[in-house]
Amino acid sequence: MSHERISRELGLLREGGQIAEYHADGRPVVVYCDVPTGGTRFGLPEVTDVLVPVPPGYPAALIDLAGLPVGSPFLPLVKGGGNNQGVLTVNGRTWQLASYHPHNGGGGAPWNQNRHGFHTYLDHLIAWLNRLG
Amino acid sequence: MCRRYPDYEWATFAHFGWRHTPSELVLTLARLAPSRPGELDDDVGHVAIREPYTLRVALDAEQHPLAIGVIHSHPRHCPPAPSTTDDDMDGYYSKYFAGFAPDRPYVSLILSELDDGTALSGRVWWRGVWNHLTHVAVERSRVNAWPGDRLKAPGAEERHQRLAAAFGDEATSRLRRSTVAVIGAGGTGSAAIETLVRAGVGRLVIVDPDHLERSNLERVHGSTPADAAQKTPKTAIAKRHVATIDPACHVDSFVGALPHPAVVDAVVTADVMIGCTDQQHSRLALSDIARRYLVPAIDCGVVLEGKNGSVTAQVIQCVRFLPDDPCPLCRQMIVPEQLAQELMDPADRAQRQAAAADAVRRGYEGAAYWRDLPQLNTVGYLTTMAGAMAAGYAIGWITGRFTPPFSRLQMNLLAPFFDVTNLEQSAEEDCACRRARGWADQGAVDALISAPSHWQTVRQS
Repeated sequence: MSHERISRELGLLREGGQIAEYHADGRPVVVYCDVPTGGTRFGLPEVTDVLVPVPPGYPAALIDLAGLPVGSPFLPLVKGGGNNQGVLTVNGRTWQLASYHPHNGGGGAPWNQNRHGFHTYLDHLIAWLNRLG
Repeated sequence: MCRRYPDYEWATFAHFGWRHTPSELVLTLARLAPSRPGELDDDVGHVAIREPYTLRVALDAEQHPLAIGVIHSHPRHCPPAPSTTDDDMDGYYSKYFAGFAPDRPYVSLILSELDDGTALSGRVWWRGVWNHLTHVAVERSRVNAWPGDRLKAPGAEERHQRLAAAFGDEATSRLRRSTVAVIGAGGTGSAAIETLVRAGVGRLVIVDPDHLERSNLERVHGSTPADAAQKTPKTAIAKRHVATIDPACHVDSFVGALPHPAVVDAVVTADVMIGCTDQQHSRLALSDIARRYLVPAIDCGVVLEGKNGSVTAQVIQCVRFLPDDPCPLCRQMIVPEQLAQELMDPADRAQRQAAAADAVRRGYEGAAYWRDLPQLNTVGYLTTMAGAMAAGYAIGWITGRFTPPFSRLQMNLLAPFFDVTNLEQSAEEDCACRRARGWADQGAVDALISAPSHWQTVRQS
């Protein structure tokens, strides 16, 4: 696992005011804390935590999927939320992965490891959490 | 380094990457930190480094993670054995730089022109112990480690006399002292291995995750029907075959793949790597190691194409990966989706395949979840040719007698004059492959690929 690269990308996020944590126990994941949502229109929270798996071989393999806490009110509203791509438990918290593929035909640019990373994936998560319905 | 040759010494500070494997400390020359006018004393015959130069290099260590070292020349014909002055210098610098760059090796190298070529001695202060340089690899140059390589140089054995007649006795000595890492021990890899061991290479690192299938018997040198029945690891077949050809050739074999850390530990000790797999992650890792650990590589592959019952193309490709060459991403050799599928853990793969099948059932495109990739057609004589060619270029590099005259060679055995092409491709300016050349582990932030956490590797010997 490319700890060094992920640390750098999380550092970039931190500089921009976004906290994200790397968890390497079990399947490696990054948890973005308090990501802004468009939930107020639906009477939902303004922010939510989001989990993103670290793809095996990263950065060679593209970042894919996004997870929300099991039972999250956002799951029925986000793109791919109804298509369960697996359940993960990280630090006692259980997450459900949604079928969201921004770099794999899902609306984003094709994966380029020299331009994309966990720091740029935040943009896709914000867009994902704002396009509800 | 030799600006005051042949009578006087000169020196430069340098920065090194490193990797501490279970058995060795591997160092890579990342860059020189040459002196500025007046920073070395020109008035004395030996090396006299003035304090501003030392302080500049020491303070600069806060800006990078690399090890610091000094390289100096001895006058021509003067062996590169450390003098008492050198002992004093190394004793002082090893402690001085530790104050600025703690937990990093201090490297001291001495270079000298001797009658039989350039010789290099060295020692490294690392975790409170002096380690002596035992092997040196200089890309496309013939440099001996002193005294180790010189003391061990044997004459050519009878079996290698034809090769010695062509390339010289020194070439056979170099081959015997050398290590070649062969990634992939299938049709292409097994041919490369056989060529290398017959040429007298002293040590092979052989890596392959697969076990022999009956369909492999047509291509894999040394394989038997019993191996297919027992699903013997391809690396075990290769090792057994090497022993029957030259029992003196040492083999370290791994059932696994690059860039698993245990495999990388072994591969970075090689003089040359040969890539013989059709796996995209392997190519990416090969180029990454070539760049960061300065191990030159040749990647080779074959494909056989047909149409309407006829064979229309038999293509061999050999790609050179020197540390400064464009990586497979820049050369557009990588399909990201295929790469991701190769690296996926088995549970994820099964889930993706099921999701793709479900999408198709519902009338949607399943490719976002999984794409079935066609298996490349191949045939034994083609893989044998490609493997032997790659081994030949490895022999050229090791002996210093010739180098691959291409960057990316493609040839079609069925086309007039084989339709040979050399694709000269440029690197993207912003690609990570432009950075961290020779930085070894210290350039990990710019690694193009990492080992998936679900990978397991078994070392056989």
